[in-house]
Amino acid sequence: MQTLLSAQNPDGGWSYRRGGSSWVEPSVYAILALRDLPEAAEAVRRGRAWLRGLQRADGGWAPHAAVGESTWVTALVLLLEGVEGAGEKALRWILRQTGREATWLHKVRMKLLGVSSDYEAAPAAWPWYPGTAAWVIPTSITLLALRKVSRVRPEAEIRRRIREGRQFLLVRRCADGGWNHGSSRALGFQINSYPETTGLALLALAAEKAPGLERSLAAAERHLAQCRSAEGAAWLEMGLRAHGRAASAPSSVREDTLMDTALRLLARRAAQGRNPLLE
Amino acid sequence: MRGWSRREWLAGSGAALAGGACARRRAAERARVSVVRLRRYSQEVYEAVRRLLAEHRVEARGLRVVLKPNLVEYDPGTTINTHPLLVHAALEAFRALGAAQVRIAEGPGHRRNTLELAEAAGYFGLLPDFETRFTDLNLDEIAPVRLEGPRSKLRRLYLPRTALDCDLLVSLPKMKTHHWVGATLSMKNLFGLVPGAVYGWPKNLLHWSGISECIADLHRLLARRRRPRLFAIVDGIVGMEGNGPIQGTPKSAGVLVAGWNLPAVDAVCCRVMRIEPRKIPYLQMEDPGGLLAPDGIELIGERIETVQTPFELIPQFRHLRL
Repeated sequence: MQTLLSAQNPDGGWSYRRGGSSWVEPSVYAILALRDLPEAAEAVRRGRAWLRGLQRADGGWAPHAAVGESTWVTALVLLLEGVEGAGEKALRWILRQTGREATWLHKVRMKLLGVSSDYEAAPAAWPWYPGTAAWVIPTSITLLALRKVSRVRPEAEIRRRIREGRQFLLVRRCADGGWNHGSSRALGFQINSYPETTGLALLALAAEKAPGLERSLAAAERHLAQCRSAEGAAWLEMGLRAHGRAASAPSSVREDTLMDTALRLLARRAAQGRNPLLE
Repeated sequence: MRGWSRREWLAGSGAALAGGACARRRAAERARVSVVRLRRYSQEVYEAVRRLLAEHRVEARGLRVVLKPNLVEYDPGTTINTHPLLVHAALEAFRALGAAQVRIAEGPGHRRNTLELAEAAGYFGLLPDFETRFTDLNLDEIAPVRLEGPRSKLRRLYLPRTALDCDLLVSLPKMKTHHWVGATLSMKNLFGLVPGAVYGWPKNLLHWSGISECIADLHRLLARRRRPRLFAIVDGIVGMEGNGPIQGTPKSAGVLVAGWNLPAVDAVCCRVMRIEPRKIPYLQMEDPGGLLAPDGIELIGERIETVQTPFELIPQFRHLRL
């Protein structure tokens, strides 16, 4: 906790690395990790104020103050603040986003070109950057955010997007049961899964009773046993615990970034029975 | 037959004059590219890199140098990434030349945890103090850069300060075939500069904006800047053929290829791989003066014929065969 508190920037945000400028992603994880700690109340207040000041006119957030485009990090802010804090425009911005491969224009184009694949047939999910394809991490984070919103706003459209997003994750699973960035095959060859994406996708699929999930949990356990990065280990621990599995990271994991530090704190919180990403 | 209009005559004579000027410029400015034969990753790599830098009169005294290897994924038994021995050889060579700072920097397109990938790829073992010398370009400080006359749909890019602010950026790619653009070499390696923290993992905006066009734009953007200067050393000792850049098969080409002109370096690599460089769209785009014709490049060291090793091409790229 002290690491995060001492690394907060004067503007209220956090960088990926100590001494750098503030980015939305590490800031959201830092605030989530600190927000229930009384001694961090002032840091959390300043962090939230910095985030609020960064909201763009379209309702979304850019990943950094220098970037002139709202992106997937909007879902992170929605996950942190809920629709009450992030605002209706943020929710609408997220619901407008979809992977470009799921747009009717792209589907018509592919049909005319005679292209047909699992990739093209995947349900609508969320891209990192507007106008591009959907991938595992932005989809998983958006699912966590919409799950939070749907508890207070049981709208049909939100429920539908959650359903489709979860289906997207299940379709994009790798042959080993885990997830990589979101492309499980290339020219017919199977691609292996990664630790961080496997853990995060499992967290986003919490409470899901999908077929074959047992294989995904086994893949996560295999990854966790060998994982060296704090980020990967934290997501794996949280993903496994969300499905009722005991999980603890090897002692040799390495924290490289402030985001790693925040995620480790969140994983520790999850081990104590409270995961702020699922509340 | 219809005669030429005045406008067509003017355009025709302008083109002829420009063609003559191009031919003269080509003769005067033939790009110099070195090809060194090296059959294995051994101590000889260190000597070869020092010789390459000397051949191209690379000066590094007091400069900030960034080495940009190609780190993509790790899969034991394959040759996806630039061999760490070449990176170490370059690091040592630039330090010996008196560089003020030599950093290793990369922003992989798939894996978020770059250090975990670098460790698996053997970088920690071969490069002393790797962690302190390494910058993850995916998470670096950024600056917006406008693209002048872009070929792609992009109008601006956010790029990492570590790459923009250095004096010399050395592209250290693996020699590989690529399932979308035919070959991935020193120019395509520049995709690793584009920060994941802005564009994601993968940097999918580059794919939807036209991959070949983005490769050309990124190269042109950097080549036109006063700083950093670009240099390339391609790891073709063991490359990858077939379904590259990740799922191909190791292929021993037994060469290092180096030079200041990245399109020319890549063209020579293509010829080593028995690929026609003038059929690679991004090389066409970056070759306005015909530098990539066989007589447009001054080869130093091995002749192409003595090192040429046909890299297997996936069916959709068989038309690239030289």
